[in-house]
Amino acid sequence: MNYAMALDYQNCINCKACEVACKEQNGVQLGADKQRIWVGQTEKTIFGNPFVNFYPSQCNHCVDAPCVDVCPTGASYFAEGGLVMANKDKCILCKGCMEACPYDARFVDDKAVAVDKCTFCYDTRISKGETTTACQATCPTKVRLLGDLDDENGELVQILKNRKFFVLKEGEGTVPKLLYLFPRDEKFAMNSIGEETQIYSWNEYKSIIEKASIKRGA
Amino acid sequence: MKIETSRRKFLQGSVALSIFGGTAMIPAIQLSDEKDTNTKKSYTIPTLCEMCVNKCAAIAKVESGIVKKLDPNPAFPKSKNMLCARGVAGIHALYDPDRLKYPLVRIGKRGDGKYKRVTWDEAYEAILNGTNMFKGLAQILDEEKDNRSTIGYCAGEGMAEHTYKSFIADKLGSTNFVNHASICLQTVVSGYALTIGSYGQVDLENAKYVIMAGANRAEAIVTPDTMDAFKRTRGRGLELICVDPRFTHTASQADKWLGINVGTDLAFVLALTYVAISEVLYNQKFVAENMHDFDVYKAHILENKYTPEWAEKITGISSENIREVARGFMAAAPRAIYYQGRRTAWSKQDFQLRRAQAIFSAMGGGIDIKGGIVFGKKIPLGDHEVNTPMYANAEDRIEKDAAAIIGGAGSWIGWRNKIIEGRSSYPIRAMFTYKQNPMLSVPNVAKTKKMFEQMDLVVTIDTMPSDTVMMSDVVLPECSYLEREDPVRSFGGVEPSIALRQKVIEPLYESKPVFEIMRGMAKKLSLPLWEITKKYDEDVQDEIKEMKPAEIIEYYKENGFDLNDAFVHSQEHINKERVVSEHGEKAYEVLKETGVFYPNKEQYYKQVSANEFEYYPEDKRHYTISKDGFEADVYHDTCLDEKALAAMHSKLKTQSSKVECNLPNLAKKGVDPMPTWREDLYKKTEKGKFRFISGRHAQFTQNGTSNNAMLLDLVRENYAWINQKQADELGIEHGDLVEIESKIGKVQIKAYPTNKIIEDVIFYIHGFGAQSDGLTLAHRNGASDNIIIDDVIEPVFGSAAMHETDVEVRRVAL
Repeated sequence: MNYAMALDYQNCINCKACEVACKEQNGVQLGADKQRIWVGQTEKTIFGNPFVNFYPSQCNHCVDAPCVDVCPTGASYFAEGGLVMANKDKCILCKGCMEACPYDARFVDDKAVAVDKCTFCYDTRISKGETTTACQATCPTKVRLLGDLDDENGELVQILKNRKFFVLKEGEGTVPKLLYLFPRDEKFAMNSIGEETQIYSWNEYKSIIEKASIKRGA
Repeated sequence: MKIETSRRKFLQGSVALSIFGGTAMIPAIQLSDEKDTNTKKSYTIPTLCEMCVNKCAAIAKVESGIVKKLDPNPAFPKSKNMLCARGVAGIHALYDPDRLKYPLVRIGKRGDGKYKRVTWDEAYEAILNGTNMFKGLAQILDEEKDNRSTIGYCAGEGMAEHTYKSFIADKLGSTNFVNHASICLQTVVSGYALTIGSYGQVDLENAKYVIMAGANRAEAIVTPDTMDAFKRTRGRGLELICVDPRFTHTASQADKWLGINVGTDLAFVLALTYVAISEVLYNQKFVAENMHDFDVYKAHILENKYTPEWAEKITGISSENIREVARGFMAAAPRAIYYQGRRTAWSKQDFQLRRAQAIFSAMGGGIDIKGGIVFGKKIPLGDHEVNTPMYANAEDRIEKDAAAIIGGAGSWIGWRNKIIEGRSSYPIRAMFTYKQNPMLSVPNVAKTKKMFEQMDLVVTIDTMPSDTVMMSDVVLPECSYLEREDPVRSFGGVEPSIALRQKVIEPLYESKPVFEIMRGMAKKLSLPLWEITKKYDEDVQDEIKEMKPAEIIEYYKENGFDLNDAFVHSQEHINKERVVSEHGEKAYEVLKETGVFYPNKEQYYKQVSANEFEYYPEDKRHYTISKDGFEADVYHDTCLDEKALAAMHSKLKTQSSKVECNLPNLAKKGVDPMPTWREDLYKKTEKGKFRFISGRHAQFTQNGTSNNAMLLDLVRENYAWINQKQADELGIEHGDLVEIESKIGKVQIKAYPTNKIIEDVIFYIHGFGAQSDGLTLAHRNGASDNIIIDDVIEPVFGSAAMHETDVEVRRVAL
């Protein structure tokens, strides 16, 4: 089992249903800066016209996760299915993981006095038999798809075999598992993806994941 | 809001006053209520959302009596397995500490927010007989000699709106109803209904080319349009043209954004029509067979020379772009739609704009066809009838002359202005308000306030202490949508279904569903008001003069004067009857268990992927309703009374059963029979000023969600959009406080300079700026738009033309 998520970000309209569903499902602390997931909005001007793009995002559950490495107490750890989790009982709020994370996916939960982050709803949904995360289920345009990278016949891998994708900040070398599907519109792809960004096929990324897994001894 | 509570009641411990509650968000406060201790069960139950008008299907998860999560219910074809930010945040509407919790009666000056907690019976008593602070209905109706129309009443859209309206219109007998239609989509619904027979729906799953002008489906979510459209935009089959002074989220998904000058959309559509006619791009067969008086319209368009070059000067959209869009549209037709849009009238020419849109759409043949505007099918429900009494002294509504055509939903502005300017033929002395907040939602707040101040009696039913509640004498707390069952509803369309809003938990505090509130009011008012009718109604007097007392009581009951007869059965009972009578017991069970029913559901409904469900197989969907004509049997959340509209239809005798290009009967009412650009109705923005526009987004619904803690995390306050270049010239930077002043009022708000808005336009989101101090989080948060929007009446239906206001902007020196 290796949980990952494909994001058809071209569908995103930044309605923020996912942000609210996450908070309600997981009892995330109220407050605009307390977010396990978020929709990033980038704006620029192209030939005098505005261009706006939305990047729905959250913890990447990296295969080679630096947040796990820096944690002095073992509060950050790999759980079932390669999920990166934060054990609030063990957390001493040194915030090393928050600095180590390239995606700014962690924040302080003032209620628990510990670091909080996305769990792919493992504790609140998946372990109870649900097949979708709260953010995925509630989304009007169905941006997200949670699945298992080990299941070659599953819906997730089938989609990745059919469509190319990219990841955010691949240069950090953390082997993230939020897989952004390459848009079906060349023009939009050109405008929304950085020139340096690597575009992967399933086989290419699969071998990267395998190498990282071996490195981690998984 | 100050609430006086006797010490004894306070010590009972069931009081969670907002003034003591502060901003505490913990539901446990409310659950100390003793009546909830017996409901600590865990279960899931399907229901329908009411955070906006869409009525999406949700499944509520209840743990130990507390609603913990609202998930999408995948079984509903309209909402297609989704629940938006507001829908999910419905829990915070339910457990909002500021909710109205028990009936209140005013003890201070109107508007100062001083109230006394009373029992339901005391509240009804105050409505009937007043207090030392205000008059009651008995005295008012006695003084007005049983003219029931002295009671004004308004309502916002909702599944229980009809229950409320029916009680005051049919049972109490007042004609003076104003609802949201005239500050909402009256002109667009009427424009499409009179032109193609119905507002219709759109098949965005199959359309190839869509012009969305002013409509913003990426932010102002409409189901299923939003979900259908944005899975197919940008290179995926649906070419989207966004026409808007703002670069909205919809524009970000569009293939082309055309930043149009405010109030000039009609010129844009007429020029598109000109191109389609002069280049003969339209569907000639469809036009010949299905459009009435097209030749007349064709000549009208050509004679008036509505060329792209003409339109460019007015709209600011280049003639090349106009030609390209007209050609692109007609090339994709009939799978091409000029999207109807919703919302309010924008300009005085709004009705003609909607007519022109409908005719242009029809010229491509995209009416009643897959990928076009569709009418679909509606699954029948059994009838529920009300025994309606006749009051001889109830007069016709007061603002019939406010515009060319005033329907049953009235003209909010025209009606209000008649009252405050003393131009009404008889006085409106009482005002009942349900689920509407005119103090924030109707243009020119100062005038609305004056109207409330003038009333002898103001009764408001709401869930939250809104600005309108603060103007009320008697406040009746309705429970939230999660605490009641509403009238069952049939949702027509390509994939029709019946869905039910079920009670998720028992009402908290002393709140009640509006059905129960009406029932209680009926019991208190019925006999005393009957006495007044007997005193003044000569028709009744004639009929009962020979009768014995027992016969008179019989007459009172048989002729509907007994107000209680509308509430003999519970809402649940009525719903069951209406479903079972048409579809049988099993259908009702399916509806209760899954929230949704439609014939053959067990056979048709299936999951096709992790995220997607199929409701009807392709060959069973209702893309086309008839081979030989259009029926007007589906009104998709029109906010309008179907019957009123149908009557209007027949009165205007548009019976060609074809697309109506030319409506000569309108000319008799002084309305152009064909869409015509009127220079005299278009006001250019004065030099140095800005045109003010308002709008919606996906995180708030009007002003109804303004106190929702979860949603405020997403959008803390509203900002005034101003063109970046002009902001630079005025020295305005992001976050600067600016004063925006129109001729009727001014507000202060933070600025958002951006290149996503054209020059000479100011925009901010509607729904902020509440003044009520009962709303801890919404109180004075941001700015209200209706403080500055001038009350301009659209001349055909009396709608509020909300984009006709010029404003001045200046930076506030701190």
